[in-house]
Order: sequence, then C-alpha cells, then structure tokens
Amino acid sequence: MIVTKAKPFDSILPFAEGRKNIFILGCNVCAAKMKTGGEPEILKLVGQLEEAGHPITGWVLPTAACSIRSFDHLISKNEKIKDADCILVMACGSGTSIVSSLTDIFVTGTNETVSLGGCSGFDLSERLCVFCGECNIGDFSGICPNARCPKAQMNGPCGGSKNGKCEVSRDSECVWYLIEKKMDSIHSIPKLHDIQMPKNHKV
Amino acid sequence: MSLKGTFKDKLNSSRFLVTGEVSPPKGIDFSPAIQNMKSIQGFADAINVTDNQCATLHMSSMAFARLMIENGYSDPVMQMTCRDRNRIGLQSDLLGAAALGIPNILVMSGDHPKCGDHPTAKPVYDFDSVQLLKTIQNLKNGYDFSGARLSASPDFCVGVVSNTDPNERLQLMKLEKKISFDVDFIQTQAVFDIEMFKAFLEKIQSDIPIIAGIIPIRSAQMACYMDANIPGITIPNEIHERIQASDDPISEGMKIAADLIKQLKPICRGVHMMPVGLHTYTEKILKKANVFE
Repeated sequence: MIVTKAKPFDSILPFAEGRKNIFILGCNVCAAKMKTGGEPEILKLVGQLEEAGHPITGWVLPTAACSIRSFDHLISKNEKIKDADCILVMACGSGTSIVSSLTDIFVTGTNETVSLGGCSGFDLSERLCVFCGECNIGDFSGICPNARCPKAQMNGPCGGSKNGKCEVSRDSECVWYLIEKKMDSIHSIPKLHDIQMPKNHKV
Repeated sequence: MSLKGTFKDKLNSSRFLVTGEVSPPKGIDFSPAIQNMKSIQGFADAINVTDNQCATLHMSSMAFARLMIENGYSDPVMQMTCRDRNRIGLQSDLLGAAALGIPNILVMSGDHPKCGDHPTAKPVYDFDSVQLLKTIQNLKNGYDFSGARLSASPDFCVGVVSNTDPNERLQLMKLEKKISFDVDFIQTQAVFDIEMFKAFLEKIQSDIPIIAGIIPIRSAQMACYMDANIPGITIPNEIHERIQASDDPISEGMKIAADLIKQLKPICRGVHMMPVGLHTYTEKILKKANVFE
C-alpha cells in the first residue's frame, strides 16, 4: 500500500485559482484506505473548494488511480472530465502521473506520497520498502534494513543504536534490533554474518 | 613523547600510543583549530580530524587534515563518514586525500542529518562503513569500485570505530565484518567500565591494535547525560559517585580519566583522547596516568 498524507487545503487552493472547470479524481485502493482519496474525502474537498468559491465540475472514483485503462474509460464514468481545465488527483504521485499521461489537461495531486507501507489491523507501518529493485529481504527474514534503517545500514546496526532504539528517533525501534529478535527466534543469526554489498542504483 | 616514524610504524611497535581529536572550524578561520592541534602534537601519535561531527557543518576533514600537514603535523587521521557522499564522491575524496599526503583514514557511518544543524539534508549512505572499507581495500589494490584500474593506488593506514558493549552482538558482528578488510587500528567509544571493556576484548579476540576512547568528565550532569543518552557509553555508579562527591569536578574528572588510562595501559594498545572542547587538560591527564614514563 502506498502511504499518503493529505496536503493542507491552503496549499491546494492556488491550483484552483482562475480555473473554471475543476474535476476531482480519487483512488479507491490505497488512498481510500489512507483516507486521502476515497469518496468521503472527495466530497469533503468538493465542499471546501465550493465554499472557497471554486465550483466543481464533477468527480470520479476509479478503482486505482495508478491503473487506469484510458481517458475514454474515465469519460465513460463521468463525461464532465472532458470539459475540465484542472484535474485534482487524490492519490499518490504514481496515480497523479498516470492521469497526467492520459490528457493535456492541467493535473496536480492533493496528497504527499510518503512511502510504501502497509497495515495489519489498525496499525499503519510506513516505509517498509524503498523500491530498490534488488530485493534481498529473505536475508533478514522479511525485515528490510535498506528501507527501515534511516542510514540504510545493510551490515549491522550503526553505533547510534541504544537499548534497541534508533538514533534518529528514540521512540522508534532500531530495525536491526527487530532483525536480531526475528533471526534469533528462527536460529538464523549466523546468516547475518554474510557481507552485504552495495545496492545497484542503475535505472 | 611520541616516537619517530609514522602512525602506521607505531601501530606495529609495542609502544602504548596516544591519539587525539580536533574539530575543523565552522568557517574558514582555521587558526584556533590549529592551536588546538599544536597543544597535543608534541605527544600525539596521530590526531583525528572530525568529518562534520554530529552532522553539523564544519570545514571538510580533508581540507583541515591538509592544513595540519602544512602547519607541521604529519599524521592526521581523516575521518570519513558515509553520510554525505555517494560511492563516486567517497572514492574521489579518498584519491584526493592520498594525493594531498594524508596518510590515515578512519571510516564511520556518521550521525544522521536529523541529529545536526541541517536536518532537512538528504542522507546519502550509498555505502555503509563495511562497504566503504571493502572499497578502500580495492583502491589500495589499484582498482575502483567498478573494477577500473587506477593510475597509481593510495596506501592508507585505515581505522574503524566501535562501541565496546560485549552484549551488543550485532555491533560486534559488524566490527568483525569491518576488520576483515585489512584494517590497521580500532578506535573505540569512550570507556568508563574496565570490566566491560575486558569482556569486549575477549569477545573480539583480534590482533588489530585497539585504542580505547577517553572522555574526561567535567561535571556530574555531563556524566548523567552521557550515561543516559550517548550510545555505547556506560558509566559505573562508582564514577558517578566520585564526580558527585567532588567540590572540583573538573579535577576529579581528570583523575578519573588518568585512573582509567592506568588500567587500560596493560590491556590495549593506546588511548584516544576526546575532550569535549579543547585539549586544555589532555597533557596533564596523560602525565597523571604516567603515560610518558
């Protein structure tokens, strides 16, 4: 799940200035789950913009903003999008980019895209993966130090780890402490002695 | 007083060594920092130059290490963190440092930018310290990280840092990884608990010279703060009690440091003096500890 946070309304307003036909597009997968792009959030933004003097032409809630078949498909859901001079996408950066790639209409996003995370129950976990394209999460039994250590330490904890807490935030657990606990429980600590080489950042 | 020869030569001797640490200026007036260097250069076997310590902007460690050489000190240890440069920048600066005559490098991860005065900076950490050490080994063998041949190769004396808690098994594991790459010396976080340090030495079981960190305590508050907040530092109650009971905590802190050095002398290869601020009392502490006898 892509973790997003809604931008403050004041930072969205300048994009609405001077527009005559504003259209809103949500995302019924990650952003809906994050409460940054589902139907209730779309309706709230419609209300806020109208109150600020910017009437909304229409809105649509596709299944996933990052996976849209075509612009015609969006038209089939709400043909008002054809008349828009501004599309506000309530999704992640990827969803906003896909919408932009389908049209010449001005497009912007209403969310900050924070990380690739997930949730179990009501607990949200941020930054579980950083899309390195060279996954070796199995070396750490499913806990990625590249993503979850602020210093991306691949060969063991830095010297700033104290009492199992991270140097950057003493409220957060050091990911190497979590890895140690997990690997210990499956008797796999010796596996951590393997030297991990630098990541390949070639695109 | 310091022996003749390079720091690397001295590491190969049996002599108890003294290293110190200076911070480059925050600005371009380097005279006060050079004065600080001069206050210990007569007896320091090597002097570290910090690399934007505490993630706080200072003059570059490479530039200041070169200024130390030009001002009469031939054995600076250029500290190099992985925080601010990618693999191209790190290797480029290593080649530059070698060409500028800087003989020693100390490798570390580096404090995260969030801890310093530019908290919005992009943290790089393209390499971790283990990976940087492997790359330094490559450079010394005449190749860059990508395997391309160098026109001439550097010949650094290379050090690493470590905490000394014997119960931190993953930190010890990381130290073992580091010293698998032709490392010449280990400098440790400040030691206050000798028994803990002995247990660390037993766990490491290495022939690589270990130089124990010394931070003279200046007040009871400083001792409490370090004990509670600085990773890798554990201060026994006995030391807290001594400093709390003293009317002159600076003198008592010097005595404590000297006592620690006396106990360290038979069990490790040297001490690394890291006062908070200037080296005003470093020589006095070492004299009290009979290091020069």
